[in-house]
Amino acid sequence: MIRHIGAAVLALTLGISNIVAAEPVTITFRFNDTEAEVRGAIDEFQRQNPDIKIDLQRIGWRDAQNQFLREAATGGGPDVIHSAQVWVKEMGQAGAARVLDDFIKADPPPNGFDDFLSQDLARGPGEKIYGLPWTTDTWALVFRTDLLKEAGIDKPPVTWEELRKASADVFKKTGKAGFGFPAGSSASGAIWFLANFYWWSHGKALIIQKEDGSYGIGLTPPDVAEAMRYYKSYLDGGDNPKANLAASDAHDPSIVRALASGNQAMGAMPPNTYQQVLQAYAEANHDKPAPFFSAPFPHANDTKSSMIGGRMLVVNANTKHPKEAWRFVKFMASQQVFASYYRTQFPAQRSLLKNVDFGAPMKGFAEQFEYARTWGPYASGPIPIGAMWNATGRAFGAALSGQRSADDAAKDLIQEIGKLMASKR
Amino acid sequence: MRDRLFLTAMLGPSLALLLLFYGYPILDNLRISFTDLSLLGLKRGGSWVGLDNYRELFQSGDFGDVLFNTVVWLTATSVAIRVLLGLAIAVLLNSSALKRLRLATISRFALLIPWATPPIVAVIIWRWLLDPHGDVNATLMRFGLVDQPIAFFADMRTVWPAVVTVMVWNTVPLIALSLLSSMQTVPEELYEAAELDGATRWQQFRHITLPFLMPNLLVLGLMSVFWSFNNFVYVWLATGAGPGTFTNVLATEVYLEAFVNFRVGYSSAIGLVMALVMGVFGIIYLRLVAQRQLEDTL
Repeated sequence: MIRHIGAAVLALTLGISNIVAAEPVTITFRFNDTEAEVRGAIDEFQRQNPDIKIDLQRIGWRDAQNQFLREAATGGGPDVIHSAQVWVKEMGQAGAARVLDDFIKADPPPNGFDDFLSQDLARGPGEKIYGLPWTTDTWALVFRTDLLKEAGIDKPPVTWEELRKASADVFKKTGKAGFGFPAGSSASGAIWFLANFYWWSHGKALIIQKEDGSYGIGLTPPDVAEAMRYYKSYLDGGDNPKANLAASDAHDPSIVRALASGNQAMGAMPPNTYQQVLQAYAEANHDKPAPFFSAPFPHANDTKSSMIGGRMLVVNANTKHPKEAWRFVKFMASQQVFASYYRTQFPAQRSLLKNVDFGAPMKGFAEQFEYARTWGPYASGPIPIGAMWNATGRAFGAALSGQRSADDAAKDLIQEIGKLMASKR
Repeated sequence: MRDRLFLTAMLGPSLALLLLFYGYPILDNLRISFTDLSLLGLKRGGSWVGLDNYRELFQSGDFGDVLFNTVVWLTATSVAIRVLLGLAIAVLLNSSALKRLRLATISRFALLIPWATPPIVAVIIWRWLLDPHGDVNATLMRFGLVDQPIAFFADMRTVWPAVVTVMVWNTVPLIALSLLSSMQTVPEELYEAAELDGATRWQQFRHITLPFLMPNLLVLGLMSVFWSFNNFVYVWLATGAGPGTFTNVLATEVYLEAFVNFRVGYSSAIGLVMALVMGVFGIIYLRLVAQRQLEDTL
């Protein structure tokens, strides 16, 4: 009798363990854009890897970093995280991101790690790799050809003064908005990019690395005030509607809608937002060719005027399934994903990027890459990028809205950055 | 002695729970406020900095502006409007005219709609309404009240009234319905007797209705002040504390310092100052205002 019971228990145990063994490992992937962009790639991965199930979580960019840092500090968080390139070093410092060097060595991506752009931003404490660059992008200017024609403008502006004049001419001659940029002052507002593009194109930068390796502020209050006054002139002139003081994102619906409907002639945005504009136009005007083109921000021959930005994939230091997480990360950065599924972003691998057909409307973005730079010292320097981003957004918001004069707001910003730098030293 | 033991045994579990759920987080927050804890250093913990965070807060040039926004706009203005409007709505809903027109029930249901609307939805609705291309601007333009559309959430002249409008719209039903329920407990005979004595409507309201409402009004007032002073969601969702720092309040400052600037220690110090301000206010309110009023009323 006892033997029978023993055999039954053994059989039951083996049965359960077989069931357990057959259960796929679940990897949680937290993605910060729309599910539709990656759903196809995830389904394909699961088809190719039936032993791994991907649980897709979504969160907005605004809270993505601090939410993950809080979870990771208490031993939790998703297994794989979609991260801005400039956050990776901070995640490494916080002990939230897993070092990837061993995976890259044992099971490297097809063309090795050297094939990836933004490698400097992937490295953290001890020069170790904490993220795999996944996508890359840059910002460029976009224009409506019909409104430019109506305003008598026959070629895209190539200097900041020409851009200012073109915007004013559109407003004066058509009554429509000219260069309508988001001028809001939220902690992650787009004015941060526009301010930096202006400074970079004039050969300056907020954060610089000196020859001795230390970091410093590369701007004076007059430099900052000049940029503030430049952007404020659009609001004062009326060619950028004052309502855009409440818009902080390039993809703010009011801006996308205004461009798509022909109420605004010019905008500044990353490629995925531009594609939203083109899509919105196509949906409203079925057979008509889209009256848009893109062009680089004004720059000198030897200066940059936009950033090489993008996203990375990070593996949580607390993950219980690091190998499976790495398998997923490697798959998501593969040519197959960018060729067949993830079409809204450009790959961060040189070998894949050179095969991308940008197409006529995106030509300006391809040209802008020639005049784009990485965040470099901003990311490797002592101040968290988010803190500088917030301080810059607040100072510009104060100047652009008239809360403070440009001179006072500029002084405040330089003082604040100086304070942050001193406290981090 | 046995009574005391019995009372202790009965109150003990509740006190222990209170200490666990309120006492521990407060003490831990106090400890963190004396450190330089960073969001990037949560695993390591912060180093002791003594009173540095508090010193920096009180010496900060922005603290006065942030406190002013919190006290004057977010709290005093919104609470005053909410209570007065809530009282007016309650009187209207309780009026015999509304009952005669058979509109009392439907009006009460209609009042529940803003209250049942989540704040995020309320803010989005109002952002659309107050958008330069929205219905409010269209109406103002149609009647010739303005020449150009107003960017309500971006213009410094209108941003605070716009935020307060959203708060009041979303929360006034609670006040109105609470006061309405108190009004319905007033015995009808009191009004009949007052009418026989020749009291006017205003005198009836002043000497019969209002004293009955007073206990409820005092509690609602206190709760509204606490709730508004600590509120984060309306300002953050409507303006992100902008334009510039024009609508920055203490609650958004706590968020910005902790989760944007990563200064969890400093942010905890701001949080404790907020708790202290509300604690002092609560004691003064209960001692000087509520106690006297309740004694007079009861």
